[in-house]
Amino acid sequence: MNRQIAAGVMILGSAILLSGCQVTEERQRETAYTSASSQTETEIDENLIVVGVSQVGAESDWRIAQTNSIKESLTAENGFYMIFDNAQQKQENQIKAVRNFILQEVDYIVLDPIVMSGWDNVLQNAKEAEIPVILVDRDVEVEDDSLYVTSVVTDMVAEGRNAGYWLEDYLEKQGREDEDIQIVMLLGTEGASAQIGRTKGFTEIAGQHENWKILEQLGGDFTQAKGRESMETLLKKYDDIDVVISENDNMTFGAIDAIQDAGRSCGPEGDMIMISFDAVRAALEAMQAGEINADFECNPLQGPKLAETIKRLENGEEVEKVQYIEETYFDTTMDLETLIRGRAY
Amino acid sequence: MSSLKKLTQKRLFLPIFSMILVMLINVIYDIACGNMPLQFFVITIKNGVLYGRLIDVLNRGSEIAILAIGMTLVVSSSAGTDISVGSVMSLYAGVCCMILAGYGNVNVSSYAHPLLVGILGGLAVTTICGLFNGLLVAYLNIQPMVATLILWSAGRAIGLLLCNSQIVYVRVPSFQKLGAYTGIIPTPIIVAAICIAIAACVLKFTALGTYIQSVGINKKASRIAGFNSAKIILLTYIICGLCAGLAGMVATSRIYSADTNNIGLNMEMDAILSVALGGNSLGGGKFNLAGSIIGAYTIQAITTTLYALGVSSAQAPVFKAIVVILIVVIQAEPFKAYMKKLTAKRTQAKEAA
Amino acid sequence: MKKSKISSNNLLLLITIVLFFVMYLAGCGVYAGKGFTKVQNFMNILINNAGLICVTAGMTCVMLTGGIDISVGSLIAMDCMILAVGIERWHWSSPALMLFILAIGIVFGFIQGFCIAYLDIQPFIVTMAGLFFARGMTAVICKEQVSIVSDKIFTALSNFKIQFPFGGAVNKKGVLVLPYIRITVIVALIVVVAIYLMLKYTKFGRSIYAIGGNQQSATLMGLDVKKTKLKTYMLSSFLTSIGGICFCLNTMAGTTTQATGLEMDAISSAVIGGTLLTGGVGNVIGSLFGVLINGTISALVKANGKLISSWANIVTAILLCFFIILQSIFAKIKESKK
Repeated sequence: MNRQIAAGVMILGSAILLSGCQVTEERQRETAYTSASSQTETEIDENLIVVGVSQVGAESDWRIAQTNSIKESLTAENGFYMIFDNAQQKQENQIKAVRNFILQEVDYIVLDPIVMSGWDNVLQNAKEAEIPVILVDRDVEVEDDSLYVTSVVTDMVAEGRNAGYWLEDYLEKQGREDEDIQIVMLLGTEGASAQIGRTKGFTEIAGQHENWKILEQLGGDFTQAKGRESMETLLKKYDDIDVVISENDNMTFGAIDAIQDAGRSCGPEGDMIMISFDAVRAALEAMQAGEINADFECNPLQGPKLAETIKRLENGEEVEKVQYIEETYFDTTMDLETLIRGRAY
Repeated sequence: MSSLKKLTQKRLFLPIFSMILVMLINVIYDIACGNMPLQFFVITIKNGVLYGRLIDVLNRGSEIAILAIGMTLVVSSSAGTDISVGSVMSLYAGVCCMILAGYGNVNVSSYAHPLLVGILGGLAVTTICGLFNGLLVAYLNIQPMVATLILWSAGRAIGLLLCNSQIVYVRVPSFQKLGAYTGIIPTPIIVAAICIAIAACVLKFTALGTYIQSVGINKKASRIAGFNSAKIILLTYIICGLCAGLAGMVATSRIYSADTNNIGLNMEMDAILSVALGGNSLGGGKFNLAGSIIGAYTIQAITTTLYALGVSSAQAPVFKAIVVILIVVIQAEPFKAYMKKLTAKRTQAKEAA
Repeated sequence: MKKSKISSNNLLLLITIVLFFVMYLAGCGVYAGKGFTKVQNFMNILINNAGLICVTAGMTCVMLTGGIDISVGSLIAMDCMILAVGIERWHWSSPALMLFILAIGIVFGFIQGFCIAYLDIQPFIVTMAGLFFARGMTAVICKEQVSIVSDKIFTALSNFKIQFPFGGAVNKKGVLVLPYIRITVIVALIVVVAIYLMLKYTKFGRSIYAIGGNQQSATLMGLDVKKTKLKTYMLSSFLTSIGGICFCLNTMAGTTTQATGLEMDAISSAVIGGTLLTGGVGNVIGSLFGVLINGTISALVKANGKLISSWANIVTAILLCFFIILQSIFAKIKESKK
């Protein structure tokens, strides 16, 4: 008798769960960026340019800003019908998504590859179905370059190098260019092109300076929690850190927490120089508060350039193989107040 | 020789031995690095708070310790494991931050609803998850691993949905406090200590511990003896859900945001490991809470030591696996019987000689 | 009593198959405009999940004995990494590497099976250690990703398409696109048929069912329970290695995060397919349909295009819940009839 009641409760519970999910889904649709009213779910509007977007996931603020930028640019008003897939950070899911796009006969496939290799097969399929592939944000490593038409990327290596140049300038201004500089680096997820690029760029410049010593490069996985943990380990190991290079803002937040917990400080007034990448709004606010010295933007607002590229391809124009998005940097010498107000993310 | 045997047969031998082993490795490492031999144990006060590697272990191990409390009870009463605790932690994060920030906001500096409402809301949801698991296991007789498999896959997904797939930040000082310091001690340590104290008191001053063990050892006999076995199993799962919520509370406050993708990832494994390392049989029955707690901190110490030794977080699982296998093999009955036979043979040979 | 057991088993299988057809046809109806009705859609589900099918077949056998194997995902990742590193860095030939991987699978399964069968340790703990070990070893072998480009045989195998001469559709550009499948699908289907025949007609297969049903009775009947269990775990890891090769043919790369969570996909597919975790009841055909249902849910969510991918997880979890409760109700009815 008890058990039958329990079974009934279970089935009722599942039904409530299902209906609850329906409610959440509808509320979420209201707040979704793409206007669903002009796009039906079952039919593809052939008058619009059909674009299939395979995105990595939603693991950080930067990624979410990039997703929103793409969604805002590829709208029906601009002449696009966008099919969006979130791969939850698994390459298998991205491969499935691209296959699905080929099946749905989209006009263009936009891919933000989570890892650099393993795409030959599925991009070959796209090529055979005569669907052009545009890469965004990250690169792929394929045998045959013709498997993708163009890539709209940010130059990660240049970001790393710029950080190096900035540090050079800063030390000179402070009169410390002959001192022994001890540097620690918090790396992103191993194998991610952002991590590889920024590390490469910075270590290139660092290698040109004999007095710059990179004490250690520790992984932070691009997350705040891991950034904090790794910074704590580094602080315990080395007493005398001059510069902290953190390859994204989320890790920087964690690192700042760790530094402050240890009773040290960073930033222009502090005893450590903090250089970060990504330049999200929250980081600029932290810079205003005096916790970060310089932040090198990785522009996630890639939507407009993407839309422009697709339109150009539609018109039959030739586009460059690699298109770099404009990027800049921020530091404490700038008017942060106005910059923050104008910041979209 | 017999005193050594007596020592190894004590209940807490395994966890304490493992902990001492880990500390020894740390000491050796310190000597090799040229630091003070007991650097690991040095606790200083920097910037008004406690500081030291030992404090780090205690701090970061708080979540695992809280989870271990619930997991020990579940393992003991139902001979199964609750693998949904990591996902339930993530679900707590989603619910709590969504309440505190208001639905749809991602970055707030003030509460949309009071802090207590957020925390209690999250804990209520996780307790309901525990209730769900318990009903499936206790009343529908479904295997624990299968029953908790459902929430393992759904918990994280629901948390993501609630936060609209974004990381929700709650940058309010009182929320951050839970993950930072109270006075000179890190708050997570205090939270863990309170949970352990409450659990210990309940187990000592009520007969709950005895009931749970009796149900775990022999469900049918307990029912005949008059216990409502199903209700007791249900209770253990509810407690486990509550513990998962508390652990989620600590984890969320540490980063004052709801990172539903990463919170609690793989923590169920660490929790189960702590229970095994604590000398508890995973087949149910008698349990020893002290053992599990020591096991939890030992696991954390192993993780911290591995990082200090330069093993990357991707490679560390190999060592955890070796540790697990060694522990369970030594504890296995056939192995013990084999060793007994060996020692018996050896004493026989000695006597014959 | 025997009759009711068979009929409840078959009833679960029937429900699974019917559910698959209902879901697929519903998708065809609702999303016809998005290419769901194309034959290639079904082929894609098979291609995407070929590795999972092999793994689930092995998982079914293990679950039939009342055990479980959660190390499969990590073992696949380790296999892919060895394949990738072996071809690119050690310069072995791919046939040799594939044999090597199958051998590793057998050894891995032997160690796990020994601990479970002869040392009487709980399967969950042993295979969890296996999971940690394999995942960590993947990172020890190589931290970065390695893509396979150098081996001609492997690349040819991966690209090889078996095209059907019928069922094609003309796409927008006027090209007739015929549906195709890859070799991995053929391998997966052969595995399923082989395991089905083994379970039904060989002594080994019947022993597996007997042990799952009632271990003590099996021992009294004279079956060598320990040896059978050991062989089952070896079989599971062997099939996982085959699945790993299929996986690698699909992605052509080795990464440290590959196939995370695959074990849960396999377990949920097997449960949806009618295999009881307590053992003794189950059917590899049902597991095949379980995988197909999983694939269909994912395809439906993708075809919709507006729902977040998390929905696929939630729907799978609900289905899982439904089937678990259904199985439990059947077991209860059976017991009350006794």
